[in-house]
Amino acid sequence: MSPRRSSAGGRVDRTRTIRFTFDGRSFTGHAGDTLASALLANGMTLFGRSFKYHRPRGVMTAGIDEPNALVTLLKGDIREPNIPVTEIEIYDGLNAVSQNRSPSLAFDVGAINQYAGKLISAGFYYKTFMGPVIGPLKGTRFWMFCERFIRRAAGLGHAGTTADTARYERMNAFCDVLVVGGGPAGLMAAKAAASDGARVIVADLEAAFGGTAKWSGDVIDGKPASEWAAELADELAGMENVRLLPRTTVWGYYDGNTLAALERVSDHKANPESGEPRHRHWTIRAKTVVLATGGFERPLIFPGNDIPGVMLAGAVERFAGEYGVLPGERIALFTNNDSAYAAAANLKRAGAMVVAIIDVRPEISAAARELASKAGAEVRLGQAVVAAEGGKALTGVKVRNFEAATGMISGDPASLAVDCLAVSGGWSPAVHLASQAGGKPEWDEALQAFLPPKPTQKWIGAGAFTGAATTASAIADGQRAGLKAAGILAQGKEKLPSVSEPALDPSPAPVLEVRAHGKAFVDFQHDVTADDVRLAHQEGFISVEHLKRYTTLGMATDQGKTSNVPGLAIMADARGLSIPQVGTTRFRPPFSAVSLGSVAGERVGHIRPDRLTPMHDWHVEQGARMYAAGLWYRPMIYGAPGETVEQAYVREAKAVRESVGIVDVSTLGKIAVQGPDAAEFLDRVYTNLFSTLPVGKARYGLMLREDGLAMDDGTTWRLGENDFLMTTTTANAGKVMQHLEYFLDVVWPELKVHVTSVSDQWAGAAVAGPKSRDVLAACVTGTKVDNETLPFMGIVHGEIDGVPVMICRLSFSGEMAFEVYCGAGYGLQVWEALIEAGKPFNIVPYGLEALGTLRIEKGHVTGAEIDGRTTARDLHLGWLLSKKKPFIGSAMMDREGFVAPTRLQLVGLVSLDGRPLTGGAHIVENGSAEQLGQSIGHITATCYSPALGKYIGLALVRDGKSRHGKRAVISDPLRDRFGPVEIVNHIFFDPDGSRMHG
Amino acid sequence: MVEQLSPLGPVWKPGSYGNLSRGVGVTISEIRPGSIVEAAAWHGSEKKLIAAIAKVTGLKLPDGAGGGVFKNGKGAFGIAPTRFLLVDQAEGLAERLLTVVPVDMGSVVDLSHGRTAIRISGPKAEWVLSKFFAIDFSETAFPLGSGKATVYHDFFTQIQRTAPQAFDLYVFRSFARSFWQLLCHGAEDVGYEVF
Repeated sequence: MSPRRSSAGGRVDRTRTIRFTFDGRSFTGHAGDTLASALLANGMTLFGRSFKYHRPRGVMTAGIDEPNALVTLLKGDIREPNIPVTEIEIYDGLNAVSQNRSPSLAFDVGAINQYAGKLISAGFYYKTFMGPVIGPLKGTRFWMFCERFIRRAAGLGHAGTTADTARYERMNAFCDVLVVGGGPAGLMAAKAAASDGARVIVADLEAAFGGTAKWSGDVIDGKPASEWAAELADELAGMENVRLLPRTTVWGYYDGNTLAALERVSDHKANPESGEPRHRHWTIRAKTVVLATGGFERPLIFPGNDIPGVMLAGAVERFAGEYGVLPGERIALFTNNDSAYAAAANLKRAGAMVVAIIDVRPEISAAARELASKAGAEVRLGQAVVAAEGGKALTGVKVRNFEAATGMISGDPASLAVDCLAVSGGWSPAVHLASQAGGKPEWDEALQAFLPPKPTQKWIGAGAFTGAATTASAIADGQRAGLKAAGILAQGKEKLPSVSEPALDPSPAPVLEVRAHGKAFVDFQHDVTADDVRLAHQEGFISVEHLKRYTTLGMATDQGKTSNVPGLAIMADARGLSIPQVGTTRFRPPFSAVSLGSVAGERVGHIRPDRLTPMHDWHVEQGARMYAAGLWYRPMIYGAPGETVEQAYVREAKAVRESVGIVDVSTLGKIAVQGPDAAEFLDRVYTNLFSTLPVGKARYGLMLREDGLAMDDGTTWRLGENDFLMTTTTANAGKVMQHLEYFLDVVWPELKVHVTSVSDQWAGAAVAGPKSRDVLAACVTGTKVDNETLPFMGIVHGEIDGVPVMICRLSFSGEMAFEVYCGAGYGLQVWEALIEAGKPFNIVPYGLEALGTLRIEKGHVTGAEIDGRTTARDLHLGWLLSKKKPFIGSAMMDREGFVAPTRLQLVGLVSLDGRPLTGGAHIVENGSAEQLGQSIGHITATCYSPALGKYIGLALVRDGKSRHGKRAVISDPLRDRFGPVEIVNHIFFDPDGSRMHG
Repeated sequence: MVEQLSPLGPVWKPGSYGNLSRGVGVTISEIRPGSIVEAAAWHGSEKKLIAAIAKVTGLKLPDGAGGGVFKNGKGAFGIAPTRFLLVDQAEGLAERLLTVVPVDMGSVVDLSHGRTAIRISGPKAEWVLSKFFAIDFSETAFPLGSGKATVYHDFFTQIQRTAPQAFDLYVFRSFARSFWQLLCHGAEDVGYEVF
């Protein structure tokens, strides 16, 4: 057993030994220990080095407010910096290292910064920025010179560079009552709220519920408070309508009573269980919230108050009471309030030697005196610690007479040899969540603290959060809040537990600083001293917000939990104002550090779904090279061994032109448009008429946006008088669906039309090429497919291999082609039947590259040309703009700018140097690599055309039509591609469409 | 009769997975109803459509948002104002409905191939689903038979509670394989069985 560990008491399991390492050195602790308690039990006092001055720092608190003792945790290749030792539960194999020191924690060369004095006081880097003139180094150059050294010397831990392999997840929860904080008030609130069946969630950031009851030494209902709390937590855990969330920090309070919480699910384990995440992010939607978040003890500001061994009184008490660890052998307390006396008595009970209690007040309550007597401590009233002494550990303190009303110090100093000084500057309710929810905290003169604002959302405060100073009042408060939160009117429904605790005076003396010679720290994490705050005042940064930015007071991982009020008090004193007149900063989320992994949750891997067509596995089995088209995966080429991409798509496209090919078009957007007004609706949506389309026929259509620019194109099939099947481009399926729904819901609600996405209902295969009809004839039953039965844009119904199919004759390739649709679940069967039927004709499956080649040869447009900036006329689709009816976009499409001759128009390009063209390259009228001319447009799509035997492309070129036959230059400096091109008509192949219509 | 091919393909692997130390938390299966149909009424014709649905399926839909009923393998629930998703183990439900839903009452769309039905059941079904959907899955908020149309990032999903501890999820067929993997991944901590 460690000499600092008591033989009994606390919630650690002394029968279970845990082995861990800190800075490479092996230590042991017990199950239930934090890294802080375990290291303290091992006699460690030095935990880290401070941010700027590299001063030795020990552990100061016992909880989430810890500013000093931050370490980096190493787990495999993963390193996680800046974790307070007070929040780390030890486990076998835990490996932690200290931070911001070199070469070691004990000997840190950076400690020389302590002697840099005012050179590196608050805002020094702003001043350095402006820089002195030292030779050539002046102004920002001097800063740039210094920056590397400053950055190396300052800071906290370093993040790792290895990818985090831990698992994170997100969770949604709904409840009637969310209780934040599992101390006596929170537990009572949960019990009261749950008693009538309300769904209750209780979240506490600690591993065990109970809050102060775990170490206060109070007696509740005749049993130790820790036992009472554990039993109550067990009772709640057994209730079906209660969910207990230990190790869960509620870190954000958002609108609509939505709260964010971080559950550290497996940080306390060497290895998580199967499927268990490291962290779980909770989004909790609560009807009512009970805020029972307790309070934070404040330090006192005096020279040397950061020496290891100077700790908050409540923390020392907690280490003794909850973990059975005494942070020192000779302990003194320094306080401005009664709570330290309870701590002293508890420390004595835990076996500590309590040397003295130094109190700035001239008088104290009778209860405090009694506690001091129990502690066996000398009480030094009207005195203050004017200096703490020691280096890497506290060796003693100097005490002088102190007048609380004036701050005057007098008399000769008395030296006390102590290795632990427990300080208490009073308590600040943890109002962070209430502040986030809205409202400004209100100053309470008696408690010398900011109390929660009036609720602007549905929350109720309880316990120390409201300023309640006793366990009895916290319990009563909790019960009242729980009943109210659950809407239970009968107050006092249950008897309150009896509490035995000292009747202490809750009001501290309004003293937070003892002004004596030496560095006295306000913000320990950022090395902000009391003099820094005064310097900020002297230099005009008197606003709370400016003070924070100038000095960095209240920033970083602890967010000023210990420094907020002391910093304000010093500024208030400097300005001659009261604290509330100086103001307070409003708290923002997060309350404490949140892992980015938990925010991302599972938004990696699976979260980006792969949309797969029914024939996907077939494509993969055939060796298709797949690529992502939006969420879809589509075949790019079906490459033969040794083939390049170009060779493959040229072969595939050639096969389509010469015989027959088949391509998976299941990804096209498909929307069922149904209803008695469906035809009228389509007339309004498309630029051309659809009401005249006969049943059993399809028509190509173009739709515009409201601003008159082209939006999407596709064919729409009339399957019945009131039943249309609209197809859209793959990329725009969702956008078109939203577009249609918007107009039906908002603009034309009187139309009886329903639109339903059926993209996934139908598998589609396009069979294209001069032999395509032969392929269909070989496998389709129940209908003829000859020209008379199935003319261009005709639709027939039949069967392939026993599967009902719908066939429409339409073409994207420019060849005779048919789109064969069937239920998606039958897609593979029909696809394979078509392949089989095509074998005598050497049918070739083709991918998107060949599809693109065929459409470029035909000058058909896609999203590359319908790019949100082009009009129908720019794309030579003016013939689709009906003059017989209005349609979406018709009112805007003739605006001056949309009909200007200088607009970019679709043209074809032929490479004149026999080299491939590059998509996105500029078209330049005159120019070369050496002298670039002015851009007249850009290339939208390129390919090698097997039909033409040339590299060709489509482009949008200013006044393009008038440039047909002219030469230009492509300019692509990024890819170093320059070369001559000829501008031609955008339709390269079969301009009269005879192959398609034949 | 031709059988529909499952979109799950190689990712459907019957067996037990994940942390089974506390038993099987959920069972995940692809259910293959013969018919999945969306029926929608014109404004003012909702009650007529509900009556028509009852006539064909025997399911009496409650009048109200999200209301639904699940009985004898047949399901119906509201997915939007005036819109319902209907499920039947038998094929041909769309055709049968069209005989009783005239064009002036509403519309009927067959989605039997377009949606994939996945059932998740077991004591941890609510827990697993809560990882994905911002929906209160408790029985009081999501009673038996009722349904929701919701979304988890890119996954549009319609969900019906078909038993106290079972939910049927309808997702777009092309998303089904990814969704299945996601669901299984999310169920690892409670242990799951696939069949």
